[in-house]
Amino acid sequence: MTLRPLVALALLITVGVSSRLAAQDSQFGIRGLGTPGKPESVRARTTGGAFAPFDAFSPLVDVSISDVRRTSAGVTSGASWRSIDASGSTATLRGTRFPALVIAGPVNRRVVIGGGFSTYLDRSFGVITHDTIDLRGVPQPITDEITSDGAVSDLRLAAAARLHSRLALGLGFHLITGSSRVIATRRFADTANYRTSSTRDEVAYNGLGGSASLMVDVRHDLRFVGWFRSDSKLRADVNGRTVAENDLPMSYGTGVLWRAGAQAGIAGSLAWQKWAGAGPNAHDTFNWSAGAELGPAGALLRFGVRGGQLAFGVGKTPTEVGYSAGLGRQFSGGRGRLDLGLERLERKGTGLTERVWTFLLGLTVRP
Amino acid sequence: MTRRFAWLFLLAVAACTEEATAPGVCPDFCPGGQIVVHDTIFTDIIQRDSSFRGYVAGYQAIGAAAADLPGVKSRPFFLLKAMITRVQPLGTDTTTVPIAIDSARLRLSITRRDKKATNLRLRLFQLPLTVDSTSDFASLDPYFSGAVVDSVNVSDLLARPAIGDSVTVRIWGDSIRTDSAGHVLKISPGDSTLLLYFTLDTVQAPFSVPDSGKLAFGVEVAADSLASITIGTNETVGNGPVMRWFYRYSIPDTLPAPDSVAHGDLSRAPSFDSFVFNPPTAPPDSNLAVGGVPSARSLLRVAIPAFLHDSIDIVRATAILVPVAAVPGAPIDSFGILARPVLTDLGGKSPLSAITSDFAHVMIHTGFTDTVRIEITNMVRTWVADTTRPTAFFLGQVGEASSFTEIRFYSSRTAALRPALHVTYVKRFPFGVP
Repeated sequence: MTLRPLVALALLITVGVSSRLAAQDSQFGIRGLGTPGKPESVRARTTGGAFAPFDAFSPLVDVSISDVRRTSAGVTSGASWRSIDASGSTATLRGTRFPALVIAGPVNRRVVIGGGFSTYLDRSFGVITHDTIDLRGVPQPITDEITSDGAVSDLRLAAAARLHSRLALGLGFHLITGSSRVIATRRFADTANYRTSSTRDEVAYNGLGGSASLMVDVRHDLRFVGWFRSDSKLRADVNGRTVAENDLPMSYGTGVLWRAGAQAGIAGSLAWQKWAGAGPNAHDTFNWSAGAELGPAGALLRFGVRGGQLAFGVGKTPTEVGYSAGLGRQFSGGRGRLDLGLERLERKGTGLTERVWTFLLGLTVRP
Repeated sequence: MTRRFAWLFLLAVAACTEEATAPGVCPDFCPGGQIVVHDTIFTDIIQRDSSFRGYVAGYQAIGAAAADLPGVKSRPFFLLKAMITRVQPLGTDTTTVPIAIDSARLRLSITRRDKKATNLRLRLFQLPLTVDSTSDFASLDPYFSGAVVDSVNVSDLLARPAIGDSVTVRIWGDSIRTDSAGHVLKISPGDSTLLLYFTLDTVQAPFSVPDSGKLAFGVEVAADSLASITIGTNETVGNGPVMRWFYRYSIPDTLPAPDSVAHGDLSRAPSFDSFVFNPPTAPPDSNLAVGGVPSARSLLRVAIPAFLHDSIDIVRATAILVPVAAVPGAPIDSFGILARPVLTDLGGKSPLSAITSDFAHVMIHTGFTDTVRIEITNMVRTWVADTTRPTAFFLGQVGEASSFTEIRFYSSRTAALRPALHVTYVKRFPFGVP
């Protein structure tokens, strides 16, 4: 496939179809702090997340930017279509997100610094319920709508240093910040006597985090990464008043990448996150992924699979299984790269099943 | 190529459409908080309520009630302005000559009537020229026992076929109904007001030169039942009584030629109009009066609890008022009460808000003693949103002083039946809590 049809395809899908595609949100996150984001570039997402620990433009680990030789930037966008089935009640949702941006560049031959943002918790959702309540002795049909629009972002400042030709260390400081516009509306069927009640506010979130990671090239074709991250409490403020404080997780994980020749790479990763202390309906999670990247550097084919658990959900820990595939194409003599991908996720929990199609579009530029 | 990719991302940004709202399956997949409605009757927050009388007098009202009901009699009256007694027949000569009245046509407007009334009749009585704002029912009653100047059966006129030939329409502007006595009835197309014309001769409308043609008339209404109407007054545009004098005079230079007599006509509106009724409006007491003549208004001050100002969204607020007694009168005497917030609380002279969206209205029906509920939701929401506003409102009759009707409510001095405020509110949603 030449580049021009590729761009046309991207345009067609992104613009033409996005009105029917959905966000990365999940109904499971409504009863929790939100839906944890995936700190992955399109390259990593299309390999099931397996390449995320090794991809400089995936803000999962800090040490991965040590491979950046020139100042570069990568942006990820995703348009999703999500169908939910909650105890027989079905709905179709859509949305578009820019979940990650990474900029990195070398300070000297050994040290690379970088930064950017990624979605830490998605807080966009809307819920409509209908009921009849007794008011002044008369049954009164009502409609409640509670919407939240916003997210908690992870603003990262990272540095990576090559300690040895086979060993690199990464450190990161994370400012966890964001806000969500929230509106609670109650409408009465009897509009002659009852006014619609609408309360709106903006909830501001903030917290801090630190991360460290280590990358070891055991052989020229075998690389291991391990990472650790600890975040503080997430504070929610409304009108300057703290309304909630919730623990954020400690997380850690490991990954392995094997370069099977010049045109093939296979990776796998494991990750653990200690979300259980984040409040009711929160669970510790374990996630795994495996993926491959095939082809020459100018035109790559990727695919992957992932599985694991979701951090929030009523009852037993919800699970997630995903399959993804995508293409990567370099242009302008390797100064830019366009990544396309398609991901299918299925999440299952007590009383709820979600199925998500996500179209991913990423651009990496090296001026 | 880089520029093309820039466009690609711009288009991707433009494609950010959202549909994030789904039917909620609660409580498992709904936010932790809930929208909770509370419904409370505050029985003691309406305080320092009182009535004030004298806002609009009977002679300032937009209508004058005429009624003959069990327990209530009401009679409008009016004093016509002075008429000319001489004219200047020739424009070039300042010599004047006396006029001689041929006849007169009096127009009355019935702006409100009960369509179920049968055999509705109006009678005209001549009153002394001394009638004024001090006249009361007792002082004028003897004149209503005297000779009837004219009488007309309105029901009969209404039952007659309309005359709508071109000559009639040219003269009257519309179709008319008339009887053998020369009364003419025209129905105003705009508001169904009945325009009633009495043709009076010089005996019925004697023209007194010493009195400059001033005349005073009283109106009495009667019917088989439901005899209660409103006569338009000078305060309404175009609906007040009008006397049209038809006169003649001689032109001296042409005497004694037969064509020396000239004719003219001139209309005169009342210089004063009002109505008297019996029994008169009761004196003020400890209750809250609304209506009557002169009109009474009631001021109710609401001590909004602090918690209603804070973190509350009012969805309905109803003022509850218990009438002391039923309002007497025919069903057509039902009237409206308007609740208007005050701009500044200066007691009885408080200026009233002109923001109509904060007004509240309720109809008071005669003969009923049901509790009156006035929906003042917008008013209370305004108070809650803006704590600088005085939390007080006036109750006033719609069409003040145009009727003898008055309602009285128990005030805060009567503990068991005092005014109350029924508030339905939503507490602030606990945003930010998972």
